[in-house]
Amino acid sequence: MEEILKMRNLKAYYFTREGVIRAVDNVSLSISRGELLGLVGESGSGKSSLGLSIVRLIPPPGRIVDGEIIFRKMDLLKLPEKELRNIRGKHIGMIFQDPLTSLDPLRKIGDQLIETIIVHTRVNKEEAKEIALRALERVGIAPDRFDDYPHQLSGGMRQRVMIAMATMLNPDLLIADEPTTALDVIVQSRIMDLLSDLKRSMKMAILLITHDLALVIERSDRVAVMYAGELCEVGSSEKVSQEPLHPYTQLLLESIPNVEKPRTKLIYIPGSPPDMMNPPAGCRFWPRCPKVMNMCKSIPPRPLELDGRMVRCHLYNGGLESGG
Amino acid sequence: MTSLKVFVIARLLLVIPTILLLVSLVFFIMRVMPGDPVIAIVGMKAPPERVLELRKALGLVDESGNPIPLPIQYLNYLANLFRGDFGRSLIWGKRPVLVEIMEHLPATIELAIAGFLVSIILGVALGTLGGWKGGKTNSAVKIYSAITYALFIPWIGMMFQLLFAVWLKVLPVGGRIDPGLEPPMITGLYLLDSILTGRWDSFVSALRHIILPSLTLGLVISGIFSRVARTSVEEVMRQDFVIAARARGIPEHRLVIHVLRNAFIPIMTMMGLQLALLMTGAILTETTFSWPGMGTFLFERIEYRDYTTVQGTVVFFAIIISLINLVVDILYAYIDPRIRY
Amino acid sequence: MYTFRPILMKLVPKVKLSTLGWVGVGMVTFVVFLAIFAPLLTPYDPTRTVGPGFQPPCWEHPLGTNKIGQDMWSRIVYGARTIIIVVLLSTAISMLIGVPLGLISGYVGGLLDRILSMIMDAIYAFPSLILAIAMAAALGPGIINTAIAIAIVYVPTYFRMVRGQTLSIKEQLYVEAARAIGANHMTILVRYIFPNVISIITVVFTLSVADVVLTEAALSFFGLSVPAPTPDWGFDLKAGHPYLLSGYWWLITFPGLMIMILAVGFTFIGESVAEYFQAMEVRT
Repeated sequence: MEEILKMRNLKAYYFTREGVIRAVDNVSLSISRGELLGLVGESGSGKSSLGLSIVRLIPPPGRIVDGEIIFRKMDLLKLPEKELRNIRGKHIGMIFQDPLTSLDPLRKIGDQLIETIIVHTRVNKEEAKEIALRALERVGIAPDRFDDYPHQLSGGMRQRVMIAMATMLNPDLLIADEPTTALDVIVQSRIMDLLSDLKRSMKMAILLITHDLALVIERSDRVAVMYAGELCEVGSSEKVSQEPLHPYTQLLLESIPNVEKPRTKLIYIPGSPPDMMNPPAGCRFWPRCPKVMNMCKSIPPRPLELDGRMVRCHLYNGGLESGG
Repeated sequence: MTSLKVFVIARLLLVIPTILLLVSLVFFIMRVMPGDPVIAIVGMKAPPERVLELRKALGLVDESGNPIPLPIQYLNYLANLFRGDFGRSLIWGKRPVLVEIMEHLPATIELAIAGFLVSIILGVALGTLGGWKGGKTNSAVKIYSAITYALFIPWIGMMFQLLFAVWLKVLPVGGRIDPGLEPPMITGLYLLDSILTGRWDSFVSALRHIILPSLTLGLVISGIFSRVARTSVEEVMRQDFVIAARARGIPEHRLVIHVLRNAFIPIMTMMGLQLALLMTGAILTETTFSWPGMGTFLFERIEYRDYTTVQGTVVFFAIIISLINLVVDILYAYIDPRIRY
Repeated sequence: MYTFRPILMKLVPKVKLSTLGWVGVGMVTFVVFLAIFAPLLTPYDPTRTVGPGFQPPCWEHPLGTNKIGQDMWSRIVYGARTIIIVVLLSTAISMLIGVPLGLISGYVGGLLDRILSMIMDAIYAFPSLILAIAMAAALGPGIINTAIAIAIVYVPTYFRMVRGQTLSIKEQLYVEAARAIGANHMTILVRYIFPNVISIITVVFTLSVADVVLTEAALSFFGLSVPAPTPDWGFDLKAGHPYLLSGYWWLITFPGLMIMILAVGFTFIGESVAEYFQAMEVRT
């Protein structure tokens, strides 16, 4: 399928007074039309920075240091700011974790929708209102909510509004950063249904950024696992869920509570995420890895292509069978 | 009834105890203070008839010279205020204090509005710039706020006088208008009245006179405004909706308006609080520029120890401040729909 | 024997100042230096006529002389004494009233707390200079009276902050523990709660002291502070004003400059201290 977005060796660092945080370090990833790619990681793994880097909105003191982001044959990193602004919101939509704070609290949601349309198209206010109402209808919001303020809506409705706003101009890519984390379970699954529908009906590529591996495996076509600014495993959801390669992915999978196989022991990943300012030498995961070897502590593993997926682990230096 | 109406009515009711408290405060400061105000006014060696007359005027003794108990004094005082009687001057033919206040108020209002405009333009512009840009610009604005806030109004006013009036001779050193050019009284604001009556010579003269005082007052108040504007813009810039709006491709010139609208509430609240400072500043500015307003009036009556006038003026200030705070709160609810719920 | 010890904060909180803060310290130190060593720095009695009037700055009188031939340099240096004394005195009075009232009001709560808070809020809402003018006019001139007049204006500032802090501290575990082992109210207030409001007092002090300086200057500008011929910057500024048209710039420039140095210095320190404590709050 057609690759809509392709990142190569992307590096985004935060230059703080205390030191440099390598939030996104040498990440290469691509996403195709009509594909839902789940990007999983703990908080602080750099997954949100990656999402923001795609549209060059990483906040200072953060900066994209190196790499390229090819979107529809354009390198977004070389595009002038003005052209990039036309892409944001029109060709690449974005939704965030907390729909309440992502909407301007002082303006009616209708006005916020209309503004976005007018900025990107040449329609007048009436036509813009029509587009906005249609978009709201598609996400299941009644037209009489058009003049409501964000605080008058429920959390789920707000996120629907955000989705309507991000998708109403038929973008090629939707970046959804923890879109359901702030919502309760039932609303969560409805929002995910909505995203899946949009993906299918609009042939949209969706980058779903979350800490919830279970959600990703259930909903996405492919999975990318991020740890300490690096991707440690990328592959199709089935393969990753059935036969995870990277020890970190394995631990993440084991820690998902499972109704069918009740456990007496709660598995958790020992240790805490690394200090991003001084990541450990060698593999960044070794201090917490149950399968750590001597070489892991000094030699950083390179990404390996195996069986149509990517893994970054010394266990597989000799091919798939060598791993455990 | 809409929630806004409910809020306004509730807030209106709250203003009554506030004013009562402030007005009582003035009474107790003036009466319970150590020392005898009458002796302070007329001096130790005054004839007893003069002292008695003053005591009557101050409501300390009744017609036959018997002392009135403090609680009764207090009730009389409140009753008089309630009737709109702020007392009568001890000098200048016992003119009602309220009449004298009304004569001087327009000049102060005109100066306060002009100073306020200068401070908003300077303060909000610089503060927004600092909060929006961050980094070195922000630090520079921070230092500007600290210095302007700590300026002593009479001194900076005198420096302006020295520079523009004495050395460069481009602007008048003080006063409100050239003598004889006063426009006919409509609102009492010379600039407005001269426009309404089409007297351009008056307008130019009034404008030339108000430049230095309003610049002095505005510069000092802009310190606070730039600081408030800076911190609230910084605060808003950290909110998610800013990055969400950028992610929707909203151009910066539109975004700055949305950010300012969100930052406006704290800025406006602070502006409301600073109106007290504006009053204080106006008093100092007026005395520096011989501006014939409330400040000059109050200062002059303090020098003459016109005790009742000073008390009446202070009470008047207290009421004005309460009312200003009321208006600010209501505007605040009007702008932010969240407040009403 | 086990006792529950409160987390005693150091009596004077350690504060790291920014560059701006140090500039402020330098400016204030300069004025305090003048105040302390005034007799050594001045060749003349600031209250006596020592030369011809209206003399511009020259060798004998580096800052010129005023109308009645007093040496402006000597008046400036001794003026530093006046303002520093009034500022220190009024701050001490504000603290002596505001801090205990805030402690008691916050600790006892109930009706007392409500009444005190209402009164303090009313004073707080009043334009500070007008209140100070009313007080000073009622009290009459003099160093002590001026200090009292200014102090009353700033009592609510201390009261409000200390009360707020007390409210939150009294719910803390170690205070509960002290109560459980039978410590009386006085002990709890003095030994357990007071040490923890010291840092907030420091912040209020550094933030309000510039205002105190400007209020003193304003009162003395209105002739409501110390009586003549005591050297006082605000008063000298006012006294020099009528001669502005004659171009006697030195009469107004220097007293005002000194007021500004002191006020700006304190503001810089205040900004820096407040910023430090804010950063501390974020970190913990």
